[in-house]
Amino acid sequence: MHIPDGFLSPETFIPTWALAVGCWSWAARGLRTRIDETTLPRLAMLTALAYALGLIMLPLPGGTSGHALGVALLALLFGIRLAFLSYSLVLLLQALLFAAGGITALGVNALAIGLAGSATAVAVHRLLRGAYEPLAVVVAAYASVLASAVLIGLALGLQAHIAYDAAGRPLYFPFSFHIVLPAIVVPHLFIGLGEAALTLVVWRYARARGWTSRADA
Amino acid sequence: MNPRVLLFAYLGALVAISLLHSPALLATLLLFAFIASGQDRLALLRASVRALAVFTLTVGLSWLLYSWLWQGAPDGRWLLLVILRVLLMVYLGLWFVRRVPLMALLERWPSATLLATLTLSQIAIYRRLLADFRLAFTSRRAAPPRLTDRARHAGAQGIVLLDKSLAAAADAAQALRSRGVFDLPAPNDAGAAR
Repeated sequence: MHIPDGFLSPETFIPTWALAVGCWSWAARGLRTRIDETTLPRLAMLTALAYALGLIMLPLPGGTSGHALGVALLALLFGIRLAFLSYSLVLLLQALLFAAGGITALGVNALAIGLAGSATAVAVHRLLRGAYEPLAVVVAAYASVLASAVLIGLALGLQAHIAYDAAGRPLYFPFSFHIVLPAIVVPHLFIGLGEAALTLVVWRYARARGWTSRADA
Repeated sequence: MNPRVLLFAYLGALVAISLLHSPALLATLLLFAFIASGQDRLALLRASVRALAVFTLTVGLSWLLYSWLWQGAPDGRWLLLVILRVLLMVYLGLWFVRRVPLMALLERWPSATLLATLTLSQIAIYRRLLADFRLAFTSRRAAPPRLTDRARHAGAQGIVLLDKSLAAAADAAQALRSRGVFDLPAPNDAGAAR
């Protein structure tokens, strides 16, 4: 889902980088003072976990597949801040080492997937867990995928409106909202189902092992 | 050259490239980068093309079709502009990472170096593990797996990853504690914080 380099205008990626730096600082604030032999490996393993969850192919009807994000699972188990930090580190490593995603788009990707995705999951889970918790987990994971997809679509669709040449031709991502939003969101309506099922299975397992959800570790 | 200087040069180049809209200029810069990158140039070019192929070509070909259908003529200039821009950015990124190891950028921050080392080593383990999972899943079935089989397989992988992550975090914590990694303050971290 994440955006590569070259499709976002500086008017988009510079402010979002600035916003992301502020959010990373907020997410790391508590962590920085308690980096020790317990928290550091935990963050490293969560980052590796977030990366590896993205490698799991989720089955889609018709024999195709999409890949998981894993952000909702991380957020429900370890809290928004750790999920956001872990996923941001994953995006950075993917951009630097595997040329997947991009450095200029890192701010948008981290905010849309890492922060908005995990915040949506935790908010929906808190809202619904009083009724029936497994349903709350499923809806939280589904909503998290869709929220990230919509935000990525909005960031891409915005480019056609703010960055064009004198002849009106696009300079970055060319399609407006009415094309890019369905193109990104519709496949994620199906990917979200796989993500929700995966999150529920792993969340149930984690709960059976006594790993309780942490609101914001 | 100092890795940090190269980092800032790379970041500055990315911003500058994103402001350029002339295919001729981008092609010239790409040619300069190609020549300057030495013996690795062909490997870098292959890796760059592989990295950008799916997204850029999907969007690019969609735009060609869209502009042809709705504007009467395919807009090849935009496709050329974007391919050159993305290719140059990816090429510079891969060249930068090949010249400057990630650890060299983090050497002033021991905690960050430790975090990156643990993460990257664990990622390598998970990649192998998931590849083994896929091979085992394929080899066990003569017929194509059903949707429910593939869903169960995805769930099983998620469980193993979570289990391994928490076990590996506990192992790494014990290893760091037994070696006294955090017993003494890290002078460089403190210096960087000041």
